[in-house]
Amino acid sequence: MPWRLWNFVLVFGLALLCNAHPIYAETSDKLQFSGFARVVLGYLDDKNAEYLNYDNSLSIDNESLIGLQADYQMMDSLAVTGQLIGHSGEQRDSGIEWLYLTYTPTNALKLKLGRQRTPFLNYSDVIDVGYAYPWATLPQQTYPRHFFSNFDGLMASYEIPSTLFLMNIEGYWGYFKDKVVVSEREMEAKTTGFHGLISHISFKNWNLRGSYHQGTTSVTLDDVTQFSGLLSQLGFSQSADSLATTGVTEVFQFSANYETVDYFVRGELNRIKADFIFVPDTDGYFLSTGYNYFPFSSYISYSKNTTDYEQPASDIPIGLSPVLDGLAYSYLNIFEQLPVNSSEAYTLGTRWDLQPGLALKGEVSLIKGADNESAFFNIKDTAFDREALLYLIALEWVF
Amino acid sequence: MKKLLALFITCWLASIPSLKAAEAIIVVANTSDKSLQLNRLQVRNLFMGGALPYDLDAIALPPENQTRVLFNTKVIGLTESRIQSYWAQMRFTGRKKAPREFSNEQSMLDYLIDNAGAVGYLPEGISVPNELTVLYTVR
Repeated sequence: MPWRLWNFVLVFGLALLCNAHPIYAETSDKLQFSGFARVVLGYLDDKNAEYLNYDNSLSIDNESLIGLQADYQMMDSLAVTGQLIGHSGEQRDSGIEWLYLTYTPTNALKLKLGRQRTPFLNYSDVIDVGYAYPWATLPQQTYPRHFFSNFDGLMASYEIPSTLFLMNIEGYWGYFKDKVVVSEREMEAKTTGFHGLISHISFKNWNLRGSYHQGTTSVTLDDVTQFSGLLSQLGFSQSADSLATTGVTEVFQFSANYETVDYFVRGELNRIKADFIFVPDTDGYFLSTGYNYFPFSSYISYSKNTTDYEQPASDIPIGLSPVLDGLAYSYLNIFEQLPVNSSEAYTLGTRWDLQPGLALKGEVSLIKGADNESAFFNIKDTAFDREALLYLIALEWVF
Repeated sequence: MKKLLALFITCWLASIPSLKAAEAIIVVANTSDKSLQLNRLQVRNLFMGGALPYDLDAIALPPENQTRVLFNTKVIGLTESRIQSYWAQMRFTGRKKAPREFSNEQSMLDYLIDNAGAVGYLPEGISVPNELTVLYTVR
């Protein structure tokens, strides 16, 4: 906790220093500093649950953050970029988010090598820069927080210009190793052979993005691995296999944006498929439309996701002996404890662009889930009806 | 009084054509290829950081500038705040950098004259030197 706070203060101090001396940042063409910050105030209008760590008290330390970026142009075609982020929330670690080399041999081709953000979804790589999107927060139903935010590897980007459209293709390969929180459990995760392909097309007022990502992920869950080993030794191979902690994860994504000076319509859908326990198969989507009336923009959104876990195996006989019954109960109990986070959210909000680089947002979301599911809520009282209003006010700043 | 009102209306009506002329925007480049012409999508891509098969480097005016507001509306097709959001997304994902900004039309024109490959946007009424080429006009 003190270390996280220290990181946050350190980045905030550096950002203030850079902003207080903009001449220093601009006098050198080779070295440029820039940054972003967001202060998010939230309140959940229900005392029986928490949602994304918001409860029925005003809190400012869940999603507030500050980031500082330095770009150094070493040569015409070679640059190095570093980004430091200080998070106020406990769910994200502060520190170096990016550190990579960029090689630009032509104005259409770009290669990046090092630690970068994972471009799973349309806003995944800019999720911390709230100024870049209209909403106060990206919908949890489409942007689950357990997605890891960066990877180490190589990314290539190639742009194909035409007189009718602009097409960009990105491909990457790398690996990831860090702690993640999945199904309310923190675990060490390692993804190897992590790769993906992203295609982006701009045509008139349309922007379309489609992507596919894949990697082999293994998580460290000693208790589950030991229990799986026991089941295997006893000959219950189906049950043992269903508790696998290693498997292939795939992400499919498609988004479409249509925008004019007056209004916008944005939609995105994704499918996450994972063939190991604790990571459910998930389908999510959101649709948002907004009207621009400078300096304001008001929007309405709907988002929904459904999650499904693998069904437990049935090769442990029940009713033959108390020992086997106990074994079957322990096995089934693992599945029963997995949180089902299917939910939907209706959101109304307004963004006010106070000046270039500074915006204030306010939004209210009605989050709903089924009575027998978690629906991303941390439930304090079993009488909770899985329905709550979340109020957010966000101040977004880029400099 | 009626004469004064008639004079005001006459002046207002007379000013309409000149206002319309002032609203036209030209995209001007310092390029050796005097026959080069771009369509709206190519101009949009160029000023949004996209690649083109020409060696052109876009420059811009500051957000509060009226010529920029017209250019955003007529060519880019987005509000200033949306464009600012776009550049925040591009910058902090390491994809593209926003065009260099100049304080006014005259300083932009001076830079265009001195720098081969530079391309900017100006009001149509401005006097364009012979060494510059008009790539696109929007009214």
